[in-house]
Parts: sequence; C-alpha cells; structure tokens
Amino acid sequence: MSPDVVIQHALAAAFAAMFTVGALQKLSDREAFAAAVDNYEIVPGALIGVFAWLLPLTELTAAIALLLPSTRPLGAALALVLLFMVTLAIAINLVRGRADVGCGCGGLEDEQLLSWPLVARNLILCVAMLPLLPEAAGRGLHAFDYLTIAGGSLTLFGLYATASQLIANRPRLARIRPAR
Amino acid sequence: MTTTVAIALGALWLLVIALTIAVFALARQIGVLYERVAPMGALMLDDGPKVGEQSPVFNLTGLQGESVEIGQPDSHGRLVFFLSPTCPVCKKLLPVLRSIADTEAAWLKVILASDGDEARQRKFYAQFDLGRFPYVLSTELGMSFKVGKLPYAVLLDESGTVRAKGLINSREQLESLFTAKELGVESIQQYLQKA
Repeated sequence: MSPDVVIQHALAAAFAAMFTVGALQKLSDREAFAAAVDNYEIVPGALIGVFAWLLPLTELTAAIALLLPSTRPLGAALALVLLFMVTLAIAINLVRGRADVGCGCGGLEDEQLLSWPLVARNLILCVAMLPLLPEAAGRGLHAFDYLTIAGGSLTLFGLYATASQLIANRPRLARIRPAR
Repeated sequence: MTTTVAIALGALWLLVIALTIAVFALARQIGVLYERVAPMGALMLDDGPKVGEQSPVFNLTGLQGESVEIGQPDSHGRLVFFLSPTCPVCKKLLPVLRSIADTEAAWLKVILASDGDEARQRKFYAQFDLGRFPYVLSTELGMSFKVGKLPYAVLLDESGTVRAKGLINSREQLESLFTAKELGVESIQQYLQKA
C-alpha cells in the first residue's frame, strides 16, 4: 500500500529541510566537522578529510532527490542508509562509553553531545522515512492539499528541531541537578 | 462553505506553525538557562581570579615530565589554553596556538591544560604532535580558573597577573586576548562599550 501523495510531499519536504540545514552547517565549518568525525574514532585518519566532504554532499544530494517526486524513492533510500550509518556510529561510541563526544550533526539546536535519546530520535526518523520508499499513487492536488503540505512540512521540521534541542538540553540539566 | 473550511484550515495551520516555533524557542531558552544557571552554583565557592588579580600559583608536571610553573613572576608570560581531546574547536585552534607561540615567543610561553583519562590525552598529544608545548593534566587548575566550557584561555603577564581570559571559539577571539592586554582592558567588549 503506498501512502497518499500529500503525506509524501510533506514528509519529503521536512526531511529535505533537515538534511539541507545539516549539510550547510557541516560545510560552513568543515574543520570543526572533520574534528568531530575524528572524535568518533571510526573513520581512519587518512580518510577524514574526504569523509568530511563526502557526508555533507551526500546529505545535500539526498535532500534534492527527496524534493523531486521522480527521484524521491531513490533519495529516501540514500537518506535512510545515511541516517542509519551515522546512528550506528553514535551507538558504537555510546557502547564504548563515550558520551562526552560532540555529535557534529549540525542542526538548529545548540551543541549536541552523543546520547541514547539521540539514537532513538534517529530511529524514529528512519521509520518516518519508510513511507517515502514506494512510488506514490498519483492524484490531482486540490488547493487544500498544498496547505496541508506547507503546514505539515513546516510543523514536522519544527518538531524535529524542538526534539533535538530538548535532547541537547539533557546533559546541561544533569549538570545543574544537585548530586544525590 | 468552501471558504469557511479554507479559512479554518489556513488559520489552524498558521496557529500550529506559530505554536511549533514558540515551543522550539522555549526549548532553546531553557537550554540557555541551564547553561547560565550552572556556574551560578559555583559562584558561591569562588569566582576565580579576575582580570588584574594575581593568579594562584601552580607547580605542575607535564606529560613529558617537564615542570610547569603558573602564576609566579617569570621572564615570560603565560597563555594557559584549556582543551580536551574530544573538543572539535580546540583542534581547530591548534595551528593558531602554534603561530602565537612563534610570534610571541619573546615574552610568552603557551601551556596546554586538560584533565581526564591520561591514555586518551597521550594519544591526542602524539597525534597532533604537541611536543613543543608543555601539556599538563590538572583538574585543580581548571577549577581554580573556573573553566566551564572549552576551549578556554587565560593570559598571564610576566608578573603572574591575569591580563585576559575567556571562552575561545575562533582565531579572532584568541587574538583579541592579546589586544585586550595591549589596551589594558578586561575584554574587547568592555573596551568597545567605553569607546
């Protein structure tokens, strides 16, 4: 069963905004992003420079592909793989007991450290990406549909930014909580 | 009928989006609050040496066994740069520190300070080839200067007096410490406010 095209448009636009913001932030301060990649201690040192270009550019590609209905399933697959990979990298470092590593994710929120809620957030995003994989059943769009798409995508992106900010806040709250 | 529904839907979406923005803004402000409140609790203990005051004296041993003196009158001033292996901005500023160590060599010694897991620190030290800098691990040093966020720098002059200090996020901010010292002000912000 393929989801309604309006749902797809709204989801795709929200994801495209999310990946674009992430990619632009990484590209605008590539040195800091390379250092963040280095902190994960997964990518070998020699490849970090290339990786620091490759990851944000892949993000941008996925974002553009998601926006165009013809390439959307492809873009969704690319985005899903990308998201799953970085989430795995976060989980690996958390298992290693390294929660003090900066995320390097790039978003509207303040500095983000690695945490399990971050992994949970990304897995939810992965699930939300699934309706974009099948080709949507075509139907003519009504004026109201455009309203739903615009409102829906903006709200989804806002909720994502809020969730990220709240996750980023958690370690700061832990720091000011009196020790028991 | 259609007009009614269109207006209702349009208004609802506008309100939903406005609410989402408001919630995000609130979450952000709460984050800022947590950040601001954190050092407040510490204020009750001690505020760390102010600009113009004498630095507390430390005699520490660096990673290579070198002895590192901070706060005593000496022929050279000190730039104590607090960093950590997991802080991306710190790594970005290492080349700037190298060039500062070169250009200011006549009167200044650059000291790197950190704390925590020594094995990780040594790896970082070797990886970024930091052998030319004294590198000390001391929790007390960071505590006495009230270092909250990294990278943080403290500039001491030859007499051991604190001349400038602050959170450093860019080359410009690091260089502004020296400008502040030359102008004899606490920070560039303070200077600009006076002007």
